[in-house]
Amino acid sequence: MTPPELRNLLVDSIAVWDVAGAKVALANDGVAVTAADGLVLRILPAAAADAPLRWWMERPGQRRPYTGMTGLLRGLRNALGAGDGLPSRLRGAPG
Amino acid sequence: MTERMPVSVVTGFLGAGKTTLLKRVLRDPAWADSAVVINEYGEVPLDHDLVAAGDETFLSVATGCLCCVVRSDLTQTLLDLHRRRAAGEVPPYARVLIETSGLADPAPVLHALMLEAAMTDTHRLQSVATLVDAQHGLDALDRHPEAQRQAMLADRLLLTKSDLAPDTSGLEVRLRGLNPAAPIRAAVQGAVPPDWIFAPGQHATEPAALAAWLEDAGTAARHTEGVATIVIEREAPIPAMALTLWMQALAEHAGPKLLRVKGLVAITEAGADRPAAIHAIQHVVHPLEWLDAWPSADRRGRVVLIGQGLPRHWPARLLAAIEDEVVSASR
Repeated sequence: MTPPELRNLLVDSIAVWDVAGAKVALANDGVAVTAADGLVLRILPAAAADAPLRWWMERPGQRRPYTGMTGLLRGLRNALGAGDGLPSRLRGAPG
Repeated sequence: MTERMPVSVVTGFLGAGKTTLLKRVLRDPAWADSAVVINEYGEVPLDHDLVAAGDETFLSVATGCLCCVVRSDLTQTLLDLHRRRAAGEVPPYARVLIETSGLADPAPVLHALMLEAAMTDTHRLQSVATLVDAQHGLDALDRHPEAQRQAMLADRLLLTKSDLAPDTSGLEVRLRGLNPAAPIRAAVQGAVPPDWIFAPGQHATEPAALAAWLEDAGTAARHTEGVATIVIEREAPIPAMALTLWMQALAEHAGPKLLRVKGLVAITEAGADRPAAIHAIQHVVHPLEWLDAWPSADRRGRVVLIGQGLPRHWPARLLAAIEDEVVSASR
C-alpha cells in the first residue's frame, strides 16, 4: 500500500467516524494525522524484518505496533477519541 | 431441515396504507392462509369487520386467515405461533406477513428474523415491501430518517394512494436515489398482485433476480443527500479471509450508517465458476449462499452497499488494503 493510498483510506475512515477537524497529510514513508486538539499521530509501514507487524502508530512518547489494517484503524479511531467502547461486531445469521 | 416458513415484512411510514394492503391481500383466496403479525399493538388496528375475536395474542380473521397482534417480543411471538401451528392449535398457515410500526426503522425486525437459531431453523426472510404515500411521501422522506431507511431496505416499493397524486415523478426520483434497484409500482387501495409485492427478495434462491438487482444498482448508483449506493465491481475472486475481515471492518466502523450489503462474488478458495451470494443487513450477515453457476455470461463480481454518510470510495479502499495484506501473507 502506497502512502497516498493510505492517506486516502484514512481520510475516508475519519469521515466515517464523524471526526471533525482532523487533517491527514503525507509524511515521509507514511502519513501524519493531526487531530483538532493538535495531537499528531504518525502512521508508518513496518519494515519487512518486523513481520508479522505491518504498521506502527507513533504519538509523543508512544509507539504501537499493528499486525493489520483492521487493528490499525481501530487504534487510530480510539486515539482520535471516536471509539465508542465496544465496537459493533459482525454477527452471523444462522444458516 | 424441514421447509422453513417464509416471512415477508411490510413497512412504510404512518398512513402509507400498510393495513389497507394487508386487508386486501388477505381477501385474495390464494393468500388467505397467511398469518399476519403487527409489531405495534393498536397502532393501526385491522378493521373489526375483518377480524373476528380470538385470544389476546392470536386472532382468526373472517377470511379464514390468521392474525396475531404482537404483545411481546416478535421472535417469541413467531415461535409460539409456529409451535401452535405444529400442534394443530391454529390453522396451518403457509406464510407470515409482518406489519411494522410506521415510525420504526425496520432493521431490528429484520435482525430478529435473521439472528436467532431457533428462528432461522423455522423461518426464512423472504422479502421486504415498503409502502410510500404518493401524496405525502416526499414530505415524510424529508422529515423522517425512519422513512428513508424503510425505503432503503425495500425489495419492492409500492406507491400508495396514487389516485391522489397524479404526478409521482419527483417521488420516484427521490426513491431511486435511496434505493436504485427495488422495482416501483403504484397502487390505489392496496390493489397490487400479492405475488408482485411479496416476490422473493434478491437471494441466491433467485440468482437471476439477484444478478438483475446488482446490475440495476450498478447502473443507478449515486449519492443523494447523504445516502450512498456504492458498487464495487471485480474481475478477480476475493480471498475468503479478505472478505470476512472486510465485512467485519465495515460493521465495526460504519455501524448503523451501513444499511444493506448485497453481492455476488467469486471466492478464491472455491474457484471462479461458483459464485457466492452475500447478504447483510447492517452488521448481521447471512451465511454465504453458493450458486452452481453464474446467472449470466457476465462473470464480474459485484457488491452493492447502501448506506448513509459513507464516502464513495471508502469500501473499495478498505477492501483493497485488507486484500493486499491477506494476499501478501499467503505468499
